[in-house]
Amino acid sequence: MAKTVGAGGKSSARTKKMNETKMIMRQPILLVAVIVVIATLLLFVAYPLIKILLFGLTTEEGTLSLQTLKEILTSHRYLSTFGRTLLLGLIVAVISTFIGYIFAYTITRTNAPCKGFLKMIATLPILSPPFILSLSIIFLFGKQGLITKSLLGITSNNVYGMPSLIVVQVMSFFPIAYLTLSGILESIDASVEDAACNMGASRWHTFWTVTFPLSLPGIISGCLLVFIQSLEDFSNPATIGGNFTTLSVEVYQVITGSYDMRKGSVLAILLLVPAMAAFLLNKYWVNKKSFVTVTGKPTQARKPINEPHIKYPLFIFCILIAAVVILFYGTVIFGSFVTTWGYNYTPTLMQYQKALAYGWSSMKNSMILALISAVLGGLLGMIIAYLTAKRNYYGKGFIEITSVLMFAVPGTVLGIAYVLAVNTKPIILTGTAAILVIVFTFRNMPVAIESGTTTLLQIDNSIEEASTILGANSGRSFRKITLPMLRNAFFSGLVYSFVKAITAVSAVIFLVSPRWNLVTSKIYTLFDQAKYSQAAAFVTMMVGILLVFIGIFNTLINILLAPRSKKRKPTK
Amino acid sequence: MKRFLVLFLTLALCIPMFASTTALADSKSLTVYTAFPEAEVIYYFDKFTEETGITVNYIRLSAGEMLTRVAAEKDNPLAALMVGGSTDNYIAAAEQGLLEPYQSPELAATPEAYLDPTGTWNPVYVGAIAFACNKEWFADKGYDYPTTWADLLDPKYQGEIIMAHPATSGTAYTVLATIIQLMGDDAAWEYLAQLDTNMSQYTKSGAAAPNAVALGEAAIALTFSHDGLQPTAEGYPIELSFPTDGTGYEVGAVALIKNGPADEQENAKLFIDWMCSTAGQNCYAENDSFRVPTNTEAVAAEGLVTLDKVQTIEYDAVWAASVKKDYTATFEEKITSAPEA
Repeated sequence: MAKTVGAGGKSSARTKKMNETKMIMRQPILLVAVIVVIATLLLFVAYPLIKILLFGLTTEEGTLSLQTLKEILTSHRYLSTFGRTLLLGLIVAVISTFIGYIFAYTITRTNAPCKGFLKMIATLPILSPPFILSLSIIFLFGKQGLITKSLLGITSNNVYGMPSLIVVQVMSFFPIAYLTLSGILESIDASVEDAACNMGASRWHTFWTVTFPLSLPGIISGCLLVFIQSLEDFSNPATIGGNFTTLSVEVYQVITGSYDMRKGSVLAILLLVPAMAAFLLNKYWVNKKSFVTVTGKPTQARKPINEPHIKYPLFIFCILIAAVVILFYGTVIFGSFVTTWGYNYTPTLMQYQKALAYGWSSMKNSMILALISAVLGGLLGMIIAYLTAKRNYYGKGFIEITSVLMFAVPGTVLGIAYVLAVNTKPIILTGTAAILVIVFTFRNMPVAIESGTTTLLQIDNSIEEASTILGANSGRSFRKITLPMLRNAFFSGLVYSFVKAITAVSAVIFLVSPRWNLVTSKIYTLFDQAKYSQAAAFVTMMVGILLVFIGIFNTLINILLAPRSKKRKPTK
Repeated sequence: MKRFLVLFLTLALCIPMFASTTALADSKSLTVYTAFPEAEVIYYFDKFTEETGITVNYIRLSAGEMLTRVAAEKDNPLAALMVGGSTDNYIAAAEQGLLEPYQSPELAATPEAYLDPTGTWNPVYVGAIAFACNKEWFADKGYDYPTTWADLLDPKYQGEIIMAHPATSGTAYTVLATIIQLMGDDAAWEYLAQLDTNMSQYTKSGAAAPNAVALGEAAIALTFSHDGLQPTAEGYPIELSFPTDGTGYEVGAVALIKNGPADEQENAKLFIDWMCSTAGQNCYAENDSFRVPTNTEAVAAEGLVTLDKVQTIEYDAVWAASVKKDYTATFEEKITSAPEA
């Protein structure tokens, strides 16, 4: 089934590419789609990035100069920061993907109890601005920590540094790996695994020879996404890193502390390199293998694993992780009901009143803009996934690379790149809501693209071909065949975009305007003023509202994209 | 595919509806960037609106972010004013040509030491560097608050002192420049190296240092008096102590942003005048700001330590700003990149 496509000669590949390009030219909808996508990517991804790149590599007078770059590349300080950042990213990516995989496997493959609860736990951490977890860890394990001081009597514990940072980042980012992987694991045809079992393979053997290799694209994407998130994460290292500095923090420091935007831009470019490398690695590795499992042949429902010796260890692992997540979030919720977090634990509801009075309008702004950008990003993401996963034509490489690029750009730099790009004629968008929508859309879309692409790669071409042979045009094939399969990918992309837009901090700090202020920049301000309890109340409300929204999304998407066949009359 | 595309295009076409700039075109509004804490600044803006009928639209940023934003928006500034934050930001902004010189006629009662020699920005408050101490920690250990810079070197404070990183925080840089002005170059670096052994960490943001003291993560923060007292508004146990052997101070400022919205220029000047006047600076005593007015005719909050009661040095902000790059680089090289103990 895993067929290896023989690599043809270079010229035949080129002919094929040429042919596919011609084919696209003949299909107006596809052609329009390709043109629209390329135009938007040029304007809102390539242009701002080129702008900041040029900014970093030119002098005040506008002449090209590599002086700043040379300065940084020969500085021991920046190089070691660079190394530390990569190491952190690697560790966090591996651990997060491991945890994400176990969660995804337990939820999709076993009939372990409380699966709904586990699902919730595995998505909860993306629902809140990440620095709230850093704060939890200080409250739990700091010098005055609830666990370290009150429970264990330790007062000399230094909670700042790399270990805490790893814990907090893993907790923040393993949901990304989980979301990617659960989509993949669900779409693996049940009959493949059943066949292995029926032929006498043990569960273990089936896992290693069938499930694991088939889920490899998801594992790699998961690792990639988490790695990039860790690289560009700003708020956690800034809060909990102590003297452990990462590159994205360095960028922020150089720009806002030393007022050196040029050096900051160059450092940002440096940060882009590993992110791009990760992306290319993913592309090279994933695309080399064929992962076709959705073949169109009849399948039956999956038989969940019921063996206690498999089910329970997995379940216990998940429950332990869940306990940690609950402990951290419980601390936040607890903190929202006290007078002065960390000092005066008199219960009160005052924080909620204050938070509502202080930030309801910004909360509303965030919801509206995030919703618009999530839908836009989800749709555009699916279109891009469809345009790039299976076809090969001139311009595809550009779409593929630019569409995920924004994901790897540190938020601070992204914000500045946009200000530089859209604050001069002919495009002036600063101070508007549009700029925020655009940033959110392009920044968060890569997750939709990644999950869309990995889903599409699993679908055998013959299904769409069959549909085309039977007379459907590519639009119809897409709608009837591909779209329903993309539903999960679309949904996870949409939810991710929505949530990330609402919880984004560093990307918007330079883009919010008096009319369009956002909830996170308000919370960020509360932190600065040591209003921790009020911030906690704010975050608790946010998580509540996000959960409601996600519930609504889920229902809506199920209704909107339900397979048409259900509505059709049984007779012809 | 088609449905997706149509849906996407329709939605994308809706974006321009949001793209209209929302700044009102009448002359009754004013757009500002401010580095004052949000809860505090609302008080001033409300008062100003009450007196003049001008509505203030604002974004609250840290001082460094404010400057970055103004620099990035250079070709098309969205705001008319920069409000709050210490003068080193304003000196840097003026050097980059981001500010429009304007001196308020209300500056008559402001001591000359606080004024901008180039006549660009206007001083509105002042605050001295203090040792912000966690009351509980000191009560617990039975120690007295430190009263000299040398006191901070006592090994009993190991891991208990906190300040921001001078490269990223204007506050911390003022601390650094104060120590250098006080002790001279060589002695200052020696002192800082010794202080480093007691240092818990160099935080990224200025506010993080007093906040860490509020939470008991450290016992002493080196910060401005008004920042150090900020957490007490939330009920955290912090008290100030000032070095008797001399301390530096910051002057906070407001200034016009060059080429800001044309219809807001007059309103912006009105705001600067108001903020420099006794009416504006009397507000400091009313809203837990813990700021010391620069206008000597304004009333300081009761119990607030004003600068005449503190042993201040003749802090030279212009000099400090001019050597900032070198000193922060040296700080990084000599102090923070030194091998960890």
